[in-house]
Amino acid sequence: MIASRLRSAQPYLLSAPALLVIGLLFLIPSVYNVVLAFQHLTPYQSPGEAEAAGLENFTDLWSSGDLPHAALNTVLWLTAATVVLRLGIGLGLALALESPILRRWRLRGVSRTIILIPWMVPQVVAIAAWRWILDGSTGVLNQALTGLGVIDQGVPFLAQTSTVWWSIIAIIVWRELPFVVMVLVAGLQSIPAEQYEAAAVDGAGRWASWRSVTVPHLRPVLTVVVLVTVIQTFNNFVYVWLTTGGGLGNATAVLATELYSAAFFDNDLGAGAAIGLLMTAIMAIFAVVYLRVTSTKGESR
Amino acid sequence: MRRRTMLAAGLAALPLAGCAGGRGEGRRVFRQFDPADQATGLAKAVKAWNTEHPDYTVTMETLSPNNPQQFAREANAGSGPDIAQLAFTDVSFMAEPRILTPLDRLMSSAPAEGQEDLLATDMTTYDRQSWAIPWTADTMALVFRPDVLEKSGVADTPEDWEELAEVSARITKDSGGDVSGFVFPAAAQYSSAQWFPINYYLWAHGSQLIRADGESWEVAVDEQQLADAMTYFNTFFTERITPAAMQAVTDYGDPSIVGALGEGSCAMTFMPPTAFRAARESIDAELMTAPMPCGLVDGATHLGGRALGINANCEEPEAAWAFVSHLLSPETFELYPQYPASAATLDRVDVDPSERGFTKQLPHAESFARYADAPITIASLQEQVNQQFSAVYSGQSEPEDASHKLLDALARGLEE
Repeated sequence: MIASRLRSAQPYLLSAPALLVIGLLFLIPSVYNVVLAFQHLTPYQSPGEAEAAGLENFTDLWSSGDLPHAALNTVLWLTAATVVLRLGIGLGLALALESPILRRWRLRGVSRTIILIPWMVPQVVAIAAWRWILDGSTGVLNQALTGLGVIDQGVPFLAQTSTVWWSIIAIIVWRELPFVVMVLVAGLQSIPAEQYEAAAVDGAGRWASWRSVTVPHLRPVLTVVVLVTVIQTFNNFVYVWLTTGGGLGNATAVLATELYSAAFFDNDLGAGAAIGLLMTAIMAIFAVVYLRVTSTKGESR
Repeated sequence: MRRRTMLAAGLAALPLAGCAGGRGEGRRVFRQFDPADQATGLAKAVKAWNTEHPDYTVTMETLSPNNPQQFAREANAGSGPDIAQLAFTDVSFMAEPRILTPLDRLMSSAPAEGQEDLLATDMTTYDRQSWAIPWTADTMALVFRPDVLEKSGVADTPEDWEELAEVSARITKDSGGDVSGFVFPAAAQYSSAQWFPINYYLWAHGSQLIRADGESWEVAVDEQQLADAMTYFNTFFTERITPAAMQAVTDYGDPSIVGALGEGSCAMTFMPPTAFRAARESIDAELMTAPMPCGLVDGATHLGGRALGINANCEEPEAAWAFVSHLLSPETFELYPQYPASAATLDRVDVDPSERGFTKQLPHAESFARYADAPITIASLQEQVNQQFSAVYSGQSEPEDASHKLLDALARGLEE
């Protein structure tokens, strides 16, 4: 009797440590963030000193007036632009890395290593280096362009509204591109060679075999890559914060920088938690809709 | 098996042993936040203390940049360093939740040398109690290349803000645009150093951002005054006196500013003492300081600096106070190249002639107490001000619109 009970409880007992870790590391902080969003608490107080705030932290979000602008920047510039560019360039590079020429010349290993370099550089170092490269008076890029006679005087890339977002996008794409390239390379390698051979036998040209063999096989990989990069970028704070801090004016403010300002400059952890909750909700909605759309497409095929 | 168990037990006990060692074996911690290369003199002062007091040795810990919220987290959890270096503006945040030890009893029972004539005590007092003791004092002085000024026939540094604009425009014009008359960091970030000259300008013109009115607070600047200040600083960019690239620079010690001083393509800028010394050592040309425009007018510049506080969790506050007294002593300032916050100790410190701009201005400077303890934090003020001024420089807003927005943000902050 006892033995059979133990046997039936075995799956739960075995998964209990993992569930405990998940609960401790993920669930408790998330629940606390929700609680904090309904409280007033400064970073100098202990959690026990928090005061109930009701819905005030959420209603204040709309009265500040800066949030819609930051949300638009987050969705359009920070996320959409960089993800689209990374996917486009990443796919091109992945195809190039898998090309027969590189294989023939035995350059695939070297090429992959070179592509991985930006990813090996810590984000903070990459941003500091790029700030130096883009500097309006002493920057390497300006000196090169001036030396080549392309421009008469240095362009302060980070100090004018027409170039500041493109500069941030360049930094993000440069640093985060290798992840996309490597995952797509793995996806390309998983496509059986026989399928290309069969397509060739059926008379398919390069474009036809790309459309009928490569794209369908890459679709699940692309689904994951898009989901991961969107969530990762949408929540990213470091790139904008260390490059412009949300300036010029508030031209590059994003939700993550607004969260930080609310929590640590205005000393209102509750307001910061409310913005965090809003960001989580946006990403949760995106993930559900995106996965439903992509899975529906897959099923219909 | 037994060996494995022993090893596991040993590993599990390691953190506990660390904690016990942290307190029980006489390890006390003094945390400071200046970059390590600026704290070598301070490390010597701590070493001198440890040599003389083997019964109460102190370990100096550097956590740079300043992170008062980290101290608060630790103190609220019952730990943290015994003694902490604090920015003046952070003391009241620590005093309110009582995570510092009140110092009045210690100060009266064992007075530290020079504690009776300290500057900026208004920043370390909260609820009529002293929660920290002013330690070092600094301000921003005008930093200039005398040879570059001389080339344009400028014999004396500008005495007011209008003269600064006029002189720096002349220097830029005379050099055919090769020399920037006045260079200042003008980025939008909260940490952007433009916060200081903006306030100096407002104070010199009889206004300030906010003001305490008894128990309540009110906005103390009108739309026109703010718009005038924005127009004034924007002129440096529209007239190309300051390079546009400065709109992405936050720090007075930024390599682009120090480099331009070295090349002679920057005639004037502003810096605090530590940044000035670093710049002076890194370039070949002569650098001098002078008071900021209106710097000799009382209350037209800020008195910044550091304070020392004792953690509320400190188990030996009397011994910690003795250490604090050592750090306040003239002997420490012989090793530690900072200006003491004690006027008497300041008189005894040798000052390099190139730094006279600071020492002339310091007695006239006033702390940011005028903004402290308001419903809106000084960090929020910095963020709002820098953001709206930056919006004007970058052409996103007209001064009138930006000043209107800034006033709205200030009023909203004070309501909260």
